[in-house]
Amino acid sequence: MVTTTAPQIGVTLYSFTNEWLSRQFDFPDLMREVARRGLGPNIEIIGFQNFKEFPDVSDDFAARFKDIVAETGLNPVSCAINSDRFLRPGQQPIDDASLVEYHKRQLRSAKKMGFSLVRYQFALPVHLLPEVAPYAEELDIRMGVEVHAPMWAGHPAVQAYAEMYDKLDTPVLGWIPDFGGTASRIPESMLDAARRAGAAESLLDRLKLVWLEPGMSHEKAGRLREWALAQGHAPAHIQAASLAFFILSNNDPLSWAQLVDRTIHIHGKFYGVDENLVEEAIDYAAILPLFRDGGFTGTIVSEWEGHAYDTRDAFEQVSRHQAMCRQILAS
Amino acid sequence: MLPVERIIGEEGLTSGAGGLRLAMRLPWYRSLPFSTVEVGGVTIDGEPVDLSDAQVEHDGKSWPLAEQGEQVDTFWFVRDSAFLLLPGRAAAPGSEHVVSLTINVSPPYIPGMTRSNVQVETLQVA
Repeated sequence: MVTTTAPQIGVTLYSFTNEWLSRQFDFPDLMREVARRGLGPNIEIIGFQNFKEFPDVSDDFAARFKDIVAETGLNPVSCAINSDRFLRPGQQPIDDASLVEYHKRQLRSAKKMGFSLVRYQFALPVHLLPEVAPYAEELDIRMGVEVHAPMWAGHPAVQAYAEMYDKLDTPVLGWIPDFGGTASRIPESMLDAARRAGAAESLLDRLKLVWLEPGMSHEKAGRLREWALAQGHAPAHIQAASLAFFILSNNDPLSWAQLVDRTIHIHGKFYGVDENLVEEAIDYAAILPLFRDGGFTGTIVSEWEGHAYDTRDAFEQVSRHQAMCRQILAS
Repeated sequence: MLPVERIIGEEGLTSGAGGLRLAMRLPWYRSLPFSTVEVGGVTIDGEPVDLSDAQVEHDGKSWPLAEQGEQVDTFWFVRDSAFLLLPGRAAAPGSEHVVSLTINVSPPYIPGMTRSNVQVETLQVA
């Protein structure tokens, strides 16, 4: 086991969603491309994005995955798993026992493929942690819940989890910060995508104001919608402008300091890093030193989410993001 | 169109002994249980298609579209097409048809959210 003393760099294959969905790469070739471009070795994979046999991976499938890992030299750090509770739209969610079993299936698959941790979601009700955590201990795999916008360190759901973490006091449970919860502004590339969809400047100006207001994301989205409809903006334009409410929040970047101790992995969310190595929306120079100086030695995976509205070259974006992170961490 | 917005699959429209077969793509970033995906409607050359006897095929399995809501443990692999089989319908190979497809997705970890996707394409029957 190699002991690290500083944050590590890596990438989540989610950054390459456009390349994946448009079949530019099959799975082995995507892994080879990531390795060839030197964007690893540490990687995260969303089980339900890249693994056809998820959530129940066979021995043969896992063996083939390990062959690709060995060939490419990549290091499978994190497997993102999902808390799918609403399997029948409009009906009741699945019962607790079924949801716990659904997590166990994914944990087993992640372990079988050699991942050292899983990303899980707050959609797993906190009262089920005492049932899931012992299974992770038994498998010897860590679980990090993703603190994703609109959540942040001060969110009630995070606090409820923190209390349960204190109670269970187990090294297998931790946090995975996603920096989209502490964006300083809406990325200009996202505004440009809304402009291309036809949104007027007056609508985007209003969006920028409402996005900064206090309140829950869906309430703010509702406020913008009400205003925009009254002003005669088209529903399609309002929808294009409203994406910001659902993937980005403007909480205090320094608030991550509260979660550093139990952070086991990081989603380095970003939207566009320019040639001067500055990210459009998220203030990395303020955030990364908190983790570096706080003793975090896990992996920051570059997570380019511009693909939600843009078809820029994801590989180039990830490469710049990693260069930016290295520069800040070394400063 | 972003890749995630594509719902008419690359394999297009084919005609065979079993009827017409339309390739569909899942408009989401990850695989989902079929129970959370609804085929909202199909028109061919402007005519709505009766889907009451349609079948869905994916990865060697098939089931009636009417029973799609029961497929809670069958996952649509996001990189693959699923196929909508329309029995009793045929089209001449090489003929062109304007196909409209609507797919509604209700992601199973986001309560209450349903996203509707529509795509219209002129397809040449293979």
